[in-house]
Amino acid sequence: MTLSSNQQSLKKMVKGRGLAERHPLNWTRWITVGVIWIVVVLPLTALFLRSFAFRWLFPDILPGQWGLRAWDYTFGESSRVIEALLNSIGVALLVTMLAMIVGLPTARALGMHDFRGKKVVEWILLTPIIVPVLVAVMGIHIVFIKLRLTGTIWGVALAHLIPATPYFVLVMSSVFANYSPALEETARSLGANKFRVFRYVTFPAISSGLLGASLFTFLISWSQYVTTLLIGSGTFVTLPLVLFPFLGGGNAAVGSAITLIFVAPAILVLVLTSRSLGRGSTVMGGFGKI
Amino acid sequence: MTAVSIQRLSRAFGNEWAVQELDLEIASGEMIALLGPSGCGKTTTLRMITGLLRPTSGDLLFDGMSVVNIPTERRGAALIFQEHLLFPTMTVAQNVGFGLKMAGVNKAEILSRVNEMLDRVELSGFGNRKAHELSGGQRQRVALARGLVTRPKVLLLDEPLANLDANLRITMRQLIRSIQRELGTTAIFVTHDQEEAVMLADRIVLMFDGKLQQVGPPDEFYRHPRTAGVAKFFRSQNFLSGTRRGNIVATGAGDLVVSDTVIDTGDGPVIITARPETLRLSSGLNEQNSLAASVITSIYMGTHTQLIVQLQDAVWHVQAPPSTAVKEGDQIFVELPKSEIWIIEDEPESFALASALNDE
Amino acid sequence: MKLDRYSLKERLKIPLMVFPSMAVIVLLFGGGLVFGLLQSVGYLPVAGLTDFTFSHYVNVLTDPTFLRSLWVTFRIAFIVTLLSTIIAVGMAFVLREQFPGSRISTFVFQIPLPVPHLVAASAVILLFAQSGLISRIAVAIGFIDAPSGFPVLINDKLGVGITLSFVWKEVPFIGLVVLAVLQSVGPKYEELARTLGANKRQRLQYVLLPLIMPGLLSTWIIVFAFTFANFEIPLLLGQTFPQTLPVQAFQEFQKPELTSRPIGMAIATVIAAITIVLLVAYRRLARYSRA
Repeated sequence: MTLSSNQQSLKKMVKGRGLAERHPLNWTRWITVGVIWIVVVLPLTALFLRSFAFRWLFPDILPGQWGLRAWDYTFGESSRVIEALLNSIGVALLVTMLAMIVGLPTARALGMHDFRGKKVVEWILLTPIIVPVLVAVMGIHIVFIKLRLTGTIWGVALAHLIPATPYFVLVMSSVFANYSPALEETARSLGANKFRVFRYVTFPAISSGLLGASLFTFLISWSQYVTTLLIGSGTFVTLPLVLFPFLGGGNAAVGSAITLIFVAPAILVLVLTSRSLGRGSTVMGGFGKI
Repeated sequence: MTAVSIQRLSRAFGNEWAVQELDLEIASGEMIALLGPSGCGKTTTLRMITGLLRPTSGDLLFDGMSVVNIPTERRGAALIFQEHLLFPTMTVAQNVGFGLKMAGVNKAEILSRVNEMLDRVELSGFGNRKAHELSGGQRQRVALARGLVTRPKVLLLDEPLANLDANLRITMRQLIRSIQRELGTTAIFVTHDQEEAVMLADRIVLMFDGKLQQVGPPDEFYRHPRTAGVAKFFRSQNFLSGTRRGNIVATGAGDLVVSDTVIDTGDGPVIITARPETLRLSSGLNEQNSLAASVITSIYMGTHTQLIVQLQDAVWHVQAPPSTAVKEGDQIFVELPKSEIWIIEDEPESFALASALNDE
Repeated sequence: MKLDRYSLKERLKIPLMVFPSMAVIVLLFGGGLVFGLLQSVGYLPVAGLTDFTFSHYVNVLTDPTFLRSLWVTFRIAFIVTLLSTIIAVGMAFVLREQFPGSRISTFVFQIPLPVPHLVAASAVILLFAQSGLISRIAVAIGFIDAPSGFPVLINDKLGVGITLSFVWKEVPFIGLVVLAVLQSVGPKYEELARTLGANKRQRLQYVLLPLIMPGLLSTWIIVFAFTFANFEIPLLLGQTFPQTLPVQAFQEFQKPELTSRPIGMAIATVIAAITIVLLVAYRRLARYSRA
């Protein structure tokens, strides 16, 4: 008895995914979808409109006059946006790199080995995720002043490492937990040296997880406000620091333009990683820090 | 009395028929095995009976009443899943009592019926355990108790023993069979294992590719397969084409006398079959229904010796006594007892083609 | 001795792998907490303070302003957690099924997740200020005719603006946790319950809610802790008085006179203590739900 492949795939469809049946759009689904789109798209649209509005008088729903004035100002010398943007990118890259260096070995140990004190390590990693980083940064501020780290990119990067490291380690440890060391052992037995094993076996297996973890670690640093405010001492400014005054009563058009620049990488990262979000719930552990 | 009546039941997914025009009458208290290779539509049939899947066409009656438009939860068809699925958030007793609780039965009665059912599945005293504290066999027994406690109109079992190890499977088979008999529950179970179907079922329903092949008591599938496909599914490869004239079938290897009870196909080209275990080695062509064959392989199997022999243009399997001492290339004579020869319904021409393809 | 060297290397392997990240967290985070604690009990040599004292704690804990801040912070965190959960669970139940547009809608649902809190605050101001977009739409419909007719939702007494920003951020977070549980559980338990006679409400109450509960409880703790400790949203959208605890702590800390630092640190330590309780609860839950 030979079975057609159609019958086989049918069976998978029927057995494995009873809910994979497609449903029609009833009113509950219409309302949910409508609310989701309005609640997410409307704020972003409003920001967009505001940044390109030259004149937007009450109670007009759309701007009366359009213009690039807000964007001109944003990219001008006096707004410090360019400087802040470069600082933001620089410090986020630095933080991601440092988190990777200190975090990858720990993640591998947690994901692939059982050892004494593993519980303690997990506790230590979890603490900065739930206990606010602000408290620790306020405490250590005085030490950073002594070490002349305040106002420097290194000082700010070290402060950002507090929320970034545990997040990176926890995500990567779950990536390593799903990775089988048997492949590495096979490669070793076939004569590959340590570097080649990493280059051709380990790295390809963890690369997509690593990319996701790195992108979100970047975002954690990118969105830090109060840590940078404190350790940056006003001399080292990042994008959220420049944005803040515009929101608290400053020019709303400029505020909207900077907000859009500020939100762009987040949406880009989501587009790049949306596939892995639903299933790898660990990736989400750090969202509250963003 | 007919408990379940399936009438031209069909289900399509897209353009593919998963089940096509299935007809079946199941008597009250009967145990039916839905047998077939994976993807043959047996699980789809089961899901249609529970109501989890709507049929594309056809009708389904419980006790003479159509239930097609009655939702699963009010249909009274309990399903035992292959994965011995227990609600992980509940204890064993809560699992077993779930159906009664949903029906609004009072607590005292739930308790006594749950305990009685746990006794039956030999799990008294396990009521307060959680699902993850049980072994695979225990889980399956809890699932069985949970399905039966509500006295369903029909109990459906989807490959109930597939995830158990060999020994456990045997004890579970006996348990399922004895409880089903004691309670008189009408039951349908799905399996791809013909041995399991034979041991458990009153009647077997064999399906290939969404279509019914043969229905009947287990021994029919061995002795009187309707088609070559049915015979092959029950592990017989012995087919020989010939020409029938009355009770005589002339084959290339010699004439065979068939019994009067064999189905009436009329005179003309036919295909005969006989099971390996009914064949005997004989001393010569002078004995009735003996055919000359040459040994291709002889394999000692402990309880018997499996011979693979060339019989004209066909390859036959013969189950010989363990002491049989023949070797590759030997010429032997195989006797096909008159009462064991059966004529199958395949068209001889299409059969020759299909068997040539299949044997590759 | 070769054997010893190897076993030493083996024994040091894990500690060496764990050391770098632990050093970073213990030194920076742990160190920060310890220095903070020292400052809160009056040990701040730079400002000439070297006397251990609990007076700052006494002052803080008996200060009505602090107590009002504590209440406001708790209230906001509680309301945000509750509202977000209700909305998120409802949406997760709809989004787990496939229907026309379900995939793209699930993607859009996730968008607020990686978006910085400050962006959420920025958008809330644009939309919900008295002259904001919603107010303009209300005028167009004819509900109100001037900005003053629109309720004050920013820097308001009840913290509506704050709540809206947080809910916008946290709904997808909780929703995706629930969605992940529902997807990993699959339809089997519900089908099973149906064959045992459970109707839609019973399946929800007795099957699905118990299944998502452990995940939901630990998510609550995280969301509560995040909301409790967030700084920029209440600073931007909250009242000037009473503020939330993190804002109050930071502002005391930032005052030019160094002597008010210990007060800021005492408040911060209280925040840390509350979140540590949450952390312990989280670990308990994690162990419980695994069992």
